[in-house]
Amino acid sequence: MIEAFASAGFSPRIVTRFDCFAGTTKERTARRYGVVGVNVLAIRSR
Amino acid sequence: MYAQVAAAPDGAFHFHRGPHYAAARLGYDAAELAALPADVTASFAGVGNPHRIASISEGAVVLDVGCGAGTDLLLAARRVGPHGRAIGVDMTEAMRRRAAAGAATHGLANVDVRDGDATALPVDDQSIDVVISNGVLNLVPDKPRAFAEIARVLKPGGRAQIADIVIGEVLPDDALRDIDLWTG
Repeated sequence: MIEAFASAGFSPRIVTRFDCFAGTTKERTARRYGVVGVNVLAIRSR
Repeated sequence: MYAQVAAAPDGAFHFHRGPHYAAARLGYDAAELAALPADVTASFAGVGNPHRIASISEGAVVLDVGCGAGTDLLLAARRVGPHGRAIGVDMTEAMRRRAAAGAATHGLANVDVRDGDATALPVDDQSIDVVISNGVLNLVPDKPRAFAEIARVLKPGGRAQIADIVIGEVLPDDALRDIDLWTG
């Protein structure tokens, strides 16, 4: 996602990470492959 | 699947839903969520919190890409006030109905819910101050097109405040092909 944002002319940065799969049936998959929720801020160039 | 989340949010899914999850794990304000219609917040299935990225100003025009049942959309509408606008776009009719009904129940006349998807946003060029989205873009097959659409609709200097999932490593082929790893 970060790369796609950058390719569209944004300068994205991850602000916060969330362990959004903890306690779900996909928790193990998320931990194994490092899947996390993130907040991303990206400003459109002027 | 998301029509099922709209119809029966208490069902069995591989992701969390609802206002308790949003407040406890994602930092939403529980009191603010409690003020929204329960039909809206029960179907919340976000993975982050676009409202914590930066504040949304009164009078702003906000677009929620994949607004679902409308939790983030209605929160945005409350923040922009009567002189602003909150536009929600979603491809699932059941979600759009919940969002529109929730806005009406909540007395938010500045909410506009539209049929569409992230790769063809039904929104004018350079008309949006802030684009928000929560747990949607990872589901879009043509991501470059979706990000180009966000760039198209944002005013110069406008902000995208996006919550979504990312993966920490390059996946091996066997993991990529194992659909059971990634679906409920």
